[in-house]
Amino acid sequence: MADLKENTSGQIIILSGFAICLSLIALAILVNQAMITGYYSSNAALEFPKHEIRDITSQTRESSVSIAELALRLNQSNNQSIEDNYRSLFNQYEQQMKTIYTIHGDEVHISLSEMNLTATAMNYSAESTVWVNISYNDGMTYYVSRPEIIEMGT
Amino acid sequence: MDDKAQLHTLEGVAAAILITMTLVIITQSATVITPQHEMMLDVQLEQMAYDALTLLDTAPSSVTSTNLTECVAGWDMNESNIQNNGLPSLDKQLFLLLPGYLYNVDLTYVQNEALVTKNVIVNGDPTEDSVIASRTVMLTNLSVDAAHGAWIIASDEIKVVEVRLTLWQI
Repeated sequence: MADLKENTSGQIIILSGFAICLSLIALAILVNQAMITGYYSSNAALEFPKHEIRDITSQTRESSVSIAELALRLNQSNNQSIEDNYRSLFNQYEQQMKTIYTIHGDEVHISLSEMNLTATAMNYSAESTVWVNISYNDGMTYYVSRPEIIEMGT
Repeated sequence: MDDKAQLHTLEGVAAAILITMTLVIITQSATVITPQHEMMLDVQLEQMAYDALTLLDTAPSSVTSTNLTECVAGWDMNESNIQNNGLPSLDKQLFLLLPGYLYNVDLTYVQNEALVTKNVIVNGDPTEDSVIASRTVMLTNLSVDAAHGAWIIASDEIKVVEVRLTLWQI
């Protein structure tokens, strides 16, 4: 047994084993952290309603211009002003968007804040502008754009 | 008696315990999440679905033969099934934009203050990992007349229609 106590060459092997094991554990933890980060970023990308918000704002801008063209056309055939026609059509747009988004559990408010519509013949002047308030709420994300400035003139 | 091997045996046992413990810790701590994880695939699939609808809605006429609004405006108002496709022009473009994927398309709109949903393209039952993308379009009687559709919209009315694309991969 005396020889065994004096023979210390095995200590290096055990220390090397320790060092290798600790390195492997450290590497495993690092890899795991990177993977978990990917998991949470994917989850966040799915949860955040960026597509819905983009759709509401882009569709409102596009529809506002189309509604303005329709309001101008209606002005030629009925006795209502361009503003009254625009307001009536925009109310329809607002109500229908609100109803459609309600079935997704989202609350959407689109309201006409202000308008400056001046037309010459069948075209709007360059300074024709509509100010629209948009708000979106799905219980987790609240988005507001007050006002969304939409230029009508060409 | 030669008892020198005892220390070698002890070293062997200690090394085996270390390696076993290391392997146990690594396998238990590493969550099995790879770049091919289901959630990452859902993100990619959802992005593709939204990109396809956005492209069809916003691309200039030189890029697409009929944009999303024109496709929807030309609907004959008949609900579709798997044999009968209600919007062939939209189906043709989605087939080109989403090769190798299956999809259904529904239209949702407000009629007489009630919400109506109709199937217009049906390619089967979606799988559990399908994703849904939607985009709204606005129709007027002018756009419907131009596309020869069957929507009934008065001259002082507009119709907001949600195009809902359900996309999945087999």
